Amino acid sequence: MADLIILVTLLALGYGFGRYSESTHYASIRKREKTLNAIPAIASRIPPQGNPNFDSQLVSGSVVISVDYFKRFIAGLRNLVGGRMTSYETLLDRARREAILRMKEEADRLGASMVFNLKLETASIHKGRRNKIGSVEVLAYGTALTPN
Amino acid sequence: MEYSNPEIPEGINTSKTNPLKELVILTVGVIGAIFAIVSLLIFVVDNFADQIPFEVEQNLPMSSFTEMQGVEPLPPYLAKISQKVINSFNLPEQMHITVHYVNDDVVNAFATLGGHIVLYRGLLEKLKYEDELSMIIAHEVSHIKHRHPILNASHGAVIGLALSFLGASSGNSVVNDLLGTTSMVTLMKYSRENEHLADKDAIDSLVKIYGSAEGAIGLFDVLNSEYSDRGEVEFFNTHPLNKNRTAEAREAINHSRIINSVVRAPIPSEFSRWLKANKIEAKETKKVRID
Repeated sequence: MADLIILVTLLALGYGFGRYSESTHYASIRKREKTLNAIPAIASRIPPQGNPNFDSQLVSGSVVISVDYFKRFIAGLRNLVGGRMTSYETLLDRARREAILRMKEEADRLGASMVFNLKLETASIHKGRRNKIGSVEVLAYGTALTPN
Repeated sequence: MEYSNPEIPEGINTSKTNPLKELVILTVGVIGAIFAIVSLLIFVVDNFADQIPFEVEQNLPMSSFTEMQGVEPLPPYLAKISQKVINSFNLPEQMHITVHYVNDDVVNAFATLGGHIVLYRGLLEKLKYEDELSMIIAHEVSHIKHRHPILNASHGAVIGLALSFLGASSGNSVVNDLLGTTSMVTLMKYSRENEHLADKDAIDSLVKIYGSAEGAIGLFDVLNSEYSDRGEVEFFNTHPLNKNRTAEAREAINHSRIINSVVRAPIPSEFSRWLKANKIEAKETKKVRID
């Protein structure tokens, strides 16, 4: 009985805090994406041709986001039956967008006009005892082109 | 060449499913599936374990009680009442029941593999009437009659094995906990059904011997004062709650129109004195309750 109460409490805490942090994070992501849209991040490996007056520098941004108890619980059940891991989709979406934003912010500080050769890498870190808690790291990096 | 980033449309990389709805569907589905599988396993095992001859059970090496701490020869009074109760059951010929007396404070009695019944001094001391003692013995005899000890042991083994396979392949602690809890609750439901059956049989036996089932209510009152299960949920218990057992006994009494005006025989004072005089004082060791 006590176990059940603990489980429900943890789920409620995970759901409550998880939802709150997710919605505030998304709000902040959308706001910053609008401002930083002036610096496009392009996946192309070839820099713009015909204009050699650029300084190029490596810029990167990384973020680590932890899974909450609620998401883990749903994902654990999903593991048994298969299907879309909807509970982790928003987590990775947020992590990718946040990493790109942090990279763009660095490019902005350098006065860059765009970032080329954007690359993304994902790693799961700190799986914890018996896979209890997991967090995901997303690293975005690219070449910032600053007009000289 | 112009380069630009379009505004990212929302909801492309994420699903719109309500997480709470998903939680409910997944939890109910998985729990339901585990419940169904465990129930099916219980059903299958029951059909096999039932075929194990009683002699096999009796020859198991674990059935030796002579080395158990505190075991003493069965007092003649207990032997007399036990025989009276066993006779009321019409057991198959090969089903031999051995009653043991343990000089220990534990307030409990149990039946186990090989037709052994163990009565603890702690419980016997609390009884006032002979029919309460008969109720205990009859309840345990009924467990043996229905082969509950061997069935329970078989369930434990099969479900434990199935769980360890599943648990090893899922590798997720949350899911393992859910698997374990659901199986446990399913087994508890089964165990409670067995207890109901044993209570029912025991009441029938009391009626046969005494013409009254007052002993059942008396015994449940004793158990209730010893282990108050107030605030407990039956769903998470191996035994039905005492109040439900009492209610069921009353219902059985009403249903069969038993006249409860029989004079109840008290436990002989010599026996109570004997229990007290031969009491082994509790040592520093921790008492563990076994069922």
